[in-house]
Amino acid sequence: MYYDIVYFMDAKFFDNWTNQLRKGVLELCILKDIRNRKMYGYEIVRHLRKIEGLIISEGAIYPILSRLKRQGLVDTSIQESSEGPPRKYYKLTEEGEEMVSQMNAYWQAISGVTDSIEKG
Amino acid sequence: MMVTLSEGAKRSLDDYLRQARTYLRGSRSVDADEIEQNITEHIENELEGEAEPVSYDVLDAVLKKLGSPQQWVPMEELPWWWKIIYRLRSGPEDWRLAYISLALFVAGLLTLPYAPVSIVLILAGFLTSRAAISEAGDIDKIKAQKWLLYPPLIVVYLFVLLALLTWPLALLIPLADVYERDFRESYHYFSNENDYWFVATPAILAGLGLWWSILAIVLLKPRRLLQVVFRPFAEKVRSKWALRLLLIGLVLMILSAGIGVLYYQDFI
Repeated sequence: MYYDIVYFMDAKFFDNWTNQLRKGVLELCILKDIRNRKMYGYEIVRHLRKIEGLIISEGAIYPILSRLKRQGLVDTSIQESSEGPPRKYYKLTEEGEEMVSQMNAYWQAISGVTDSIEKG
Repeated sequence: MMVTLSEGAKRSLDDYLRQARTYLRGSRSVDADEIEQNITEHIENELEGEAEPVSYDVLDAVLKKLGSPQQWVPMEELPWWWKIIYRLRSGPEDWRLAYISLALFVAGLLTLPYAPVSIVLILAGFLTSRAAISEAGDIDKIKAQKWLLYPPLIVVYLFVLLALLTWPLALLIPLADVYERDFRESYHYFSNENDYWFVATPAILAGLGLWWSILAIVLLKPRRLLQVVFRPFAEKVRSKWALRLLLIGLVLMILSAGIGVLYYQDFI
């Protein structure tokens, strides 16, 4: 019983921790994905779903894109498609470009910190 | 939607999109229309190449991978009033009933000056609470919902309990008056104001004590009836409660007889 509770608490803690981490990382991955070329929503999902453990629910990408757009980090444009209706493409704005650079630098620094703590 | 869906799949998709739209409109940080457009496009892309009309199971697999709107935007990001509206409009049935029940009860309290409307609203809240509890089946399942479900139940049960215990007073008080008048007419020197209480009070106490004793004897056995009427509060009713009521009833009757004996002794 005691071990069940401890296991449950551990699992819950780990779930919370991964959820928080994943949210931040997912935003960075989306921004990096559209850094070099504009992409439409489904294309971003298809690309990121290949990374194991990154996306729990695929629908979560779209609200992030919408929020990034409201924050002025990405911009959209409608483009005709030969496969169906016109598509909405997302691309980084200048502000977004700056943000990705900052986030990337911070990510590098923070992952280095965890390694250095382990090494003592 | 460019893809043809089966009837079941179409209903499921409409329901999913409606839930997503309702949920996301509460968040100021996102554009619900844009997300709905993206989600629809995503589903179309995922269903491309599937045999048409697309079945419910095939669509359901796609929707499962998309996840529920609550996974997209955390509930904490929504204003409290939107959470209530969302739960009422698209939440699980049991939560909907709980919110409706509390809303009816609060409306009943607010309309207290207009008594008939107020009573109808409180009773409607009570019935909705009972329906929600029946729907849940096991009382342990309602958990946090009890804060929404219990207020109308407590108010109505207290009223019913009070009425059940004291209704004989409505008969006994007028009867005691008649008895007192007859007594006054029979004995002319019965003039002291305090004498009324010596005649009427023992009669009322005796009647009330007798009723409580009968009620206690009835409740000793069929506790199931009590549990059904006062669900979920009477789940742990014990026989000793009925015995206590019986004891109080008997004490009242003895007290009444005592007052009567004392009074008539002096009087005769």
